[in-house]
Formats: sequence, C-alpha cells, structure tokens
Amino acid sequence: MALEKELETYKLKLPELKAQEGKYALVQGVNVVGTFTSYEDAMKEAYAKFGLDSEFLVKQIRSIEEVQFISRLVVPCHISPPK
Amino acid sequence: MVDLIISASEAKKAALIAARQSIPQVLLVRGLIDTGASCTCVDPVVLKSLNLKPTGSTSVHTPSTGGAPQSAATFDVGIVIPCIGSVPFILSTIEVIESQLFLSQGFHALIGRDVLSQCHFTYNGLGGYFNLAY
Repeated sequence: MALEKELETYKLKLPELKAQEGKYALVQGVNVVGTFTSYEDAMKEAYAKFGLDSEFLVKQIRSIEEVQFISRLVVPCHISPPK
Repeated sequence: MVDLIISASEAKKAALIAARQSIPQVLLVRGLIDTGASCTCVDPVVLKSLNLKPTGSTSVHTPSTGGAPQSAATFDVGIVIPCIGSVPFILSTIEVIESQLFLSQGFHALIGRDVLSQCHFTYNGLGGYFNLAY
C-alpha cells in the first residue's frame, strides 16, 4: 500500500516527535527527514529533496490523532496501492 | 456553490519546472461551501486528472464511516477561488482529503472550515446570498 512504510515510521517515531506538536513531519521510508512549521514548507522540501517519483509522507504532529469531521454523506478514499 | 480552480500545488509545480516536465492543466470545478466539513475534500476524479499521488493520511469521521473514524488519503493541491473584478482567493499549497462526493449532486469539492478559517464568510438567509471576503 502507498505510504504504508512512512505511516509506520511516523507511528514509531511519534513519542520523540511529540515535543514538536503542531509542526509538520516529513517522512520517507524509515526516516523522519525533518519537521517544519508550515505544511507548504514541508511540501517544498519534500519535492526538492525527493523529486516527483519517490513516495513521502507529510503529516502534522499530534499526540492524539486529530479526526476530521464531515457531516455530509461522503466516502473517504483509503490510500490506494501504487499504480 | 462556488467555482474554483484546482491545480497541482505550488510546491509540486516548482518540482515539475525543475525537472523540465509539463505542469498538468488546471481544472475548473464546482465546490460546495460546507461549514459541516472540518477539512476540504476533493473527488478522486479531479485528483486523478491532475496526476497526483497521495502525500498524507488523516482520520475522517463521516456518516459513511459508522461509529469509528476511517483513515483517508490526502493530497497537496492548489486552490483558487476566482472573483470577477477583484483579486482571487489563492491557496497555493493546501492539504485536501480524497473523498467520493457523488458527482450527481453537482460538485467536485467540499470547501471546508480549513479554507473558511482563512477568510470571512457570512450567510444572509433572508437575502439569499453569502459573502466570502479575504
């Protein structure tokens, strides 16, 4: 599955990332590459460092996973396998 | 409903330019302003047209997910809400949730409170109009 490894890395590293709550973590493979104050900065660094073909994850650091609420009937899409 | 332009994010466009690759065409879609959505959602048809890959994941709770939140893919996109005769509302790199929005309802995106938190939104029910100031 796409980003599976990165999501696992984020989960494993979360205890040490908690000190940077609210920042955005850039994760690739088994490495947390850096943390950034804004989503845009994290994405810029991700594309600059890994280009267009590599997978990477940008995720806001939250001690408790934030849940997005959508009151309308929509169907969220799981991360699909890479094509 | 508002018309909006969805494109690759500025961050991705910069990478495409650096790699001397063409930038996917922007898409003009209909969006529904939804104060009941904490995050902006875009239909997979739009994201596929822009040739985007997921760059994140988040937990989502909707009437379709039952009692427990569900993990959903997120994508980085750029969103522009045009304004005739004035400066457009530009979000150059924003995270959106990929969600099937049932296109028969006539829109491809839900504009959530993450976007509304960056502007002033008022709804005049008696007048039958809304304002979006930024």
